[in-house]
Amino acid sequence: MTKPETKGGGARWALFAPALLFAPCAFVYAVFFIWPQASLLAISATDAAGLTLAHYQRFAGDSYYWEILGRTLGLGAAVTAITLVLGVPTAYLLARVQSRWAGFLLLLTTFPLLVSAVVRSFGWMVLFFRDGLLSHGLMALGFADKPVQTMYTMAGVIIALAQVLLPLMILTLHGVFKSIDRDLEYAAMSLGARPIVALGLVTLRLASGGIVAGSLLVFSLAISAFATPSLVGGARANVMATAIYEQAIELLDWPFAAALATILLVTVLALSLAYGALLEGRGEREAAR
Amino acid sequence: MGTSSFDRRQLLAALAASTTLPFASGLARAQSFTGRKLVSSGFGGSTMDIIQSAVFTPFDKATGAASTQVPMQSAAALARMKAEAGNPQIDLFQFSGGQEAFAKSEGLSQPLSGVSRLGQIPAGLKDPDGHWVTWAVIAEGIIYRKDKIPTPPTSYKDFLKPEYKGHIAFPAITNGYGIDFLVMLAKAFGGSEDNIEPGFEAMKQIKGETIFKAASDLPTLFGQGDIWIMPYDTGNTFKLQQAGLPVAFATPKEGSPAVFITACVAKGAKNADIANAAIDAMLKPEAQVEIARTMRWTASNPETKLPADLTGEVPSVDKLAQLDRDKINAKRASWIERWNREIAR
Repeated sequence: MTKPETKGGGARWALFAPALLFAPCAFVYAVFFIWPQASLLAISATDAAGLTLAHYQRFAGDSYYWEILGRTLGLGAAVTAITLVLGVPTAYLLARVQSRWAGFLLLLTTFPLLVSAVVRSFGWMVLFFRDGLLSHGLMALGFADKPVQTMYTMAGVIIALAQVLLPLMILTLHGVFKSIDRDLEYAAMSLGARPIVALGLVTLRLASGGIVAGSLLVFSLAISAFATPSLVGGARANVMATAIYEQAIELLDWPFAAALATILLVTVLALSLAYGALLEGRGEREAAR
Repeated sequence: MGTSSFDRRQLLAALAASTTLPFASGLARAQSFTGRKLVSSGFGGSTMDIIQSAVFTPFDKATGAASTQVPMQSAAALARMKAEAGNPQIDLFQFSGGQEAFAKSEGLSQPLSGVSRLGQIPAGLKDPDGHWVTWAVIAEGIIYRKDKIPTPPTSYKDFLKPEYKGHIAFPAITNGYGIDFLVMLAKAFGGSEDNIEPGFEAMKQIKGETIFKAASDLPTLFGQGDIWIMPYDTGNTFKLQQAGLPVAFATPKEGSPAVFITACVAKGAKNADIANAAIDAMLKPEAQVEIARTMRWTASNPETKLPADLTGEVPSVDKLAQLDRDKINAKRASWIERWNREIAR
């Protein structure tokens, strides 16, 4: 008689196991993400009189804030593009290189992540000011005829963020390149494809999932970064994160800060979904062809 | 160990109470907070360390309390005070940008009580209802590179001099000194707190210059930034000089605006009694001399007698210009919005 009971218990276990395993994560997610986001949404849509869309209308009717949103998305796009261009070849080489130093080299690429954003920004400060290394270097090489100030500019923010986010792109892509069977490239080449064609047709296409993941990771971190834009960008490189800080901390306008945060979140979500669908959709179309 | 020192303090207090020395009353009322903790907001960095050793360390020694300062800028401290209204985790708040007035009007602070030295502080330096008190004053003015500008600047109008073009820096308006710079530019060109237009007009002419947000950028600005002149304060001039930079402070003829370093107690603070006693310790002449010596901040307590070597280095309160903080606070948000669009864009 014990046997069926055990079996029944096992079935019940199989039924509840996923829910049980998922519960801690769901709980943490609900308490530390869903609930704060919901209250943020509530703050953004209320004022003393009750429900209102006034804070969203204020954003919509003010070109200044559209400019900030545009600047933020531009920053994200620029940083993503730079990390892709620099990250794809680096990750590919690190994944393919036959050297016992490969692991150490990969570790080296993560070094920027080990330095706090504040310390890193002070480092950039020394390089970026008019009398700093970058300015002197550009003049010595003949690229500039007078001192160049990169500090407190958007260009400085893009460079500084690309530097710190590049390791994330490389790590993501490295794993993907590592998992692609080299024989597939050899097969393509044995069927007559030149190496560069094999790389494009086989390797990069197989890596597209990793490229999407890396890009989304870098993009979302770049547009939500606060310390680097604030410290390296200064007063002129106003992005959504610094605008939210200014409204919440300096002006104590929490409803408008919450509205800005919601707008940023929704924009990122929409762009991420669209980007993911675009790349994956293309992959599926091509696979079906 | 702890018990024996406690006993000694009690003994001292008892001894003091039994004598008729003039300061006996002060000692007799020295409270004991052994085993209790005071949490204060602090300004961070070396400023916070200096305040700790000039004010809180002697205070802890005298009362047995354990005081810590949590570093945060004044605006962030006020935001924290507002977020924790009703259940404050920080008992004592220190502000440098006029936030105490807002804290009072929002009902976030409570009247000081038992601060024996409050009566010594002039009326202009404390809240009429006793919610806050100024325990130090910072003098604003012009910091300049002595090696690049041989004749000391004399006026806020000097910021428009063509020979300094490309070598000027000024703080963003969200920095307290940034908003005072705007007001002082307005005053220099015929405006005031009520008529800020000339200030914006003058600032527009230098909007292409370097704008920074935090005092932590100052050393690099004067170092790698090739900056010769900026509006800031005596305290930071002293810090830069200690770091070996060839800078000096100039008092503009429009006046050196006074910045109040204030203290107040959060409403509902669990350790309000310790906070009040600590504020009393901040007003002590000994503490204020130490602050003047180590940071070049001006004492707020007129009983404070600076040693001869410091009197020339630290301007006294009555020599400083008092800006109308209520008017500035009331217009702050609209000026920031305008500044973001017209100066930083």
